[in-house]
This record gives sequence, structure tokens and C-alpha cells, in this order.
Amino acid sequence: MKLVEHFETGLDAPICLTWELTYACNLACVHCLSSSGRRDPRELSTAECKAVIDELSRMQVFYVNVGGGEPTVRRDFWELVDYAVAHDVGVKFSTNGSRITPEIAQRLAASDYVDVQISLDGATAAVNDAVRGSGSHTTALRAMGHLAQAGFEGFKLSVVVTRANVSQLDEFKAIADAHGAQLRLTRLRPSGRGADVWDELHPTAQQQQELYQWLLANGEDVLTGDSFFHLAAFGEALPGLGMCGAGRVVCLIDPIGDVYACPFAIHEEFLAGNVRQTGGFDAVWKTSSLFAELRGPQRDSTCSGCAHFDSCRGGCMAAKFFTGLPLEGPDPECVLGHGERLLAARGDSRLPRPRVDMSRRPRRPTGAKLAVVQAPAPPGHACEESPLAGLRGVEAR
Amino acid sequence: MRERITPAPVEAEPETSAAESSQPPVPETSLVAEEPLVEDELLVEDVSIDGMCGVY
Amino acid sequence: MPTGAPPVSILDRAWALDERVALRPEPFGALAYHFGTRRLSFLKSPLLLATVRGLAEHATARDACLAAGVTKEKLGDYERALGTLAGSGMIAERTG
Repeated sequence: MKLVEHFETGLDAPICLTWELTYACNLACVHCLSSSGRRDPRELSTAECKAVIDELSRMQVFYVNVGGGEPTVRRDFWELVDYAVAHDVGVKFSTNGSRITPEIAQRLAASDYVDVQISLDGATAAVNDAVRGSGSHTTALRAMGHLAQAGFEGFKLSVVVTRANVSQLDEFKAIADAHGAQLRLTRLRPSGRGADVWDELHPTAQQQQELYQWLLANGEDVLTGDSFFHLAAFGEALPGLGMCGAGRVVCLIDPIGDVYACPFAIHEEFLAGNVRQTGGFDAVWKTSSLFAELRGPQRDSTCSGCAHFDSCRGGCMAAKFFTGLPLEGPDPECVLGHGERLLAARGDSRLPRPRVDMSRRPRRPTGAKLAVVQAPAPPGHACEESPLAGLRGVEAR
Repeated sequence: MRERITPAPVEAEPETSAAESSQPPVPETSLVAEEPLVEDELLVEDVSIDGMCGVY
Repeated sequence: MPTGAPPVSILDRAWALDERVALRPEPFGALAYHFGTRRLSFLKSPLLLATVRGLAEHATARDACLAAGVTKEKLGDYERALGTLAGSGMIAERTG
């Protein structure tokens, strides 16, 4: 039996999962998949977080990818990381780097159970800061320098591939190599604020092909989070399970304890339950009707007649959902162009929007096209805890 | 998202016992004939911990 | 090692699961995750799981296989499987 067949029906526990600790963030990246910015007052308490860690430990979840928002702005962040490690749950945390001091870097370098992922979306400040805000490139590189200096080998440099940075893949690799880090390239999804910029930031069909070729040629040490499995239709499959893991081998726990199928699917449609319910996270993972559906036989796909369906499996559920495409049809970035055609036919009808939106700056109404890349909002909110609050953005590239 | 169009023809219960001769449901879209179980198959397969889609 | 001497088979040596490995039983076998290398292995047989769990208690891997219920005809498959696990650092040879 193929590996994928075992996983498609789900496991008794996730293999790994994403846990967004807070919606608070000192940045305001234009494509933020969790629409982060302000802290939600209903955030899980320290005790509640530890209870979740206890569950993950019992379930033998191998590691959690802790993110947010910016997870390090939580006052109990290090306490929670230590608690997870002490309970045999590995931690990789995703950060913009603003709190990675030399001292913190030393601590991290000393631990086998903690991994760090620095986010960067442009090899140059010009490209990066247009998406992540003025100064964020500098912050990320500084953090990387501290980690390298501390002897932390193999931390992750994670890049969301966009129309603006596809031409910089070699440079990203060089930056990662120069810091003893491992490059990670992931797919931009139209999730959260990503929906507002997807039309102009997602790679073109031509760029997608270039990306695929680059991965085949250079991708031996490059991670992808299996986020490009839809590109398997080009030919040789990229390393990874090659399937949607949502609700089957992975899921998301959000800052208020809501459990979603995956971090790219933050929307009531993909809400499985809440860890505060009786039975906690374990009960949600095992008994949620949403997850039972995802683990069951999938609805007949309109793509099943396509020769490539077996490799691409219809692509990403979240990408289809947030671009208003039917889940039983092609991915918006289907390499044969079937998704593009459907999108053109769909016109300007309303796109799904999650209820959850902690963005500091109100988002544009659904369907309105983004003319320029917006600057992050000014500081002043009581929930911001970063010394870098007040980062100003740059206008259009 | 929640409507099923048609049920699958054979609904195998997920195995809870450690039976080596389990009959897994063959995906409808599989283009490969059912492989002989275990004998010539690799008993160990490596997957990257980063190889699951849905973790950012 | 003197030239001409044949290598000792994995099956005739003593092994143990590396202490940094978490072994998680599954209906189809097990998942094994190495915290040091961050590699994840999928053990596709419950007999393999039983074998791996028994490695430390047996003088040789062969003994562990047979004790777990592996038949003589299948030892070759298990030798290969253990070889893969050794290669990725999941199991390590016991000294002394």
C-alpha cells in the first residue's frame, strides 16, 4: 500500500501541526495568511497553552510549528517553548526575527529540540520590504547573523514565492548558504490578507514553470513544506507526500484555540472545533465531523479525467476556496491553465472572507483590486509589545 | 464542502488491529493495479518532516 | 578489518533504537522521528515495529526478528529495512 494511501484516511494524531500562539504582530505583511496584527483578547492563557502541550505530548505529535502573528511577542513565549521541549514535543517557531538577540540565538543554538524559521520574502530590501514593511529585511538578516554567529546550523530561511521574488531564487539560496541555514520556499496562498494581493503577487504560469525547473535543479537541500505538490503535473514529483495534509496529518491551532484544517484555511468552512471544548484538542482531532469528511472518500473531481490528476490531486483546497473556485475542480494555478480559465469565467462575484481578521488596518472590500502595496499601520495599540512597533512601510514597488 | 455526491463503492473501516494482510480501499483515481502486499515492497520509507503540506 | 574478510551482516550484529528517536505505533506499523536529524521514517509493518522495539534485548538483529515473528523467508526484507534504518541513524550498533 502506498504511503499516501495510509495518510489520506488520517491518523490518530497529527504528525506535526501549526500552532499560532497570537494574532499580535509588530509587522503587517500584505499577504498575511492569518490576517494578524492585533491581539485577540480571548487568547489561550499560559495554563491553557500548557494543557494543549500536554495533549500533544500524549498524542506523540513530533513537532509543532509555532507561529502567529509574531509568536515571540507573547510574554510567555520562552516558557512555553521550554515546556514543550521538556515534554518531548519538538518546536520550530516562525519569526520575523525582531526578538532574536545574540543571547537568544545562543540559547537556541544549544537546543536540539528547537528549530527557528526566519521569514523573508525578498533577497533585497526593495523586494522584501514592499511586502513585509520598511526595515523588515534588515531585521531578518540581523537575526540570521546572530543565529549563524551562535553556531546554529540548519535554521530555516523561509520564503513565500511571489511574482516579485521568483527571479531571486539563486540569491535566496546564497543568503541561506552564507548563514549556514536551510532555504525553504513555500507557496503563496490567497488566504487571509493574501486574498487581497493574490492576483498581483502570485507567480505567473511562466514563473511557475521556472520555479519548478529551479527546484528540480537546485532543490536537494531546499525545503518546500510540500506546498508545490500541484506542480507534480509538470512531470517528476517534488519530494514530499504529494497530498493535501489538512485534517489528515496536520492541522492548525489558532490563538483562541480554534482548530482549523490547516493554516491556509482559516475560515469557518474549515473550522473543526475548539480546544476549550470537552475532550480538548484530542477530541477535536479524533471526532470532528469536518475532519471525518476530509479523511473520507473525496467527492468526485471534475479533474478526474485528466491524465495528471493522480499527481496533482486537484491541488490546494484553500487556494480553490479563497479564489471562489469549486473544491471539486482545478487549482487556480493548475499547470494546464484549467484554473485560470475558470477564474476568468467566474468574474467579480464575492469571494469568501473569514470572520477572523485581526489586521490593524481595515482591509479593502471583497473584490476590490489592490492598486498599491500598503504600508503597515502606525503604532499606538496597547496590544503591541514589540520594541519595533512603529515600523513604517513603503508605498508601491 | 459538506455534501457527498456519491458514497464510495467499498467503505473499508480503518484498521485498528495490527493485521499485515489488511485490504486497503483502492483510491478510485488510482491508475496503478493493486500492488502485491509487502513481499517486494520496501518496509521503510523516509519522508521529510517538512514533507506534509499544511504547515507554513 | 583484514582484506578478504566478508562484512558481518546487519542481522548478526547487535542494535538498539537511537535514544533520540520517538517511535509512534500506527495501525499499519509505526512512525519513527529522529529529533537530532529531524528525519521521519515510516515503518510499514507491525512486525518491523516489534523487531525494532526488541533490538536492544537481543544479542543479534536476527534474534530480534525471529522473536518478533518474522519468518526465515522474510529475513532478507528485514535485513534491508534495518539497513535503511541504520543508514538514517534511527538505529545504532550496540558496543560491548
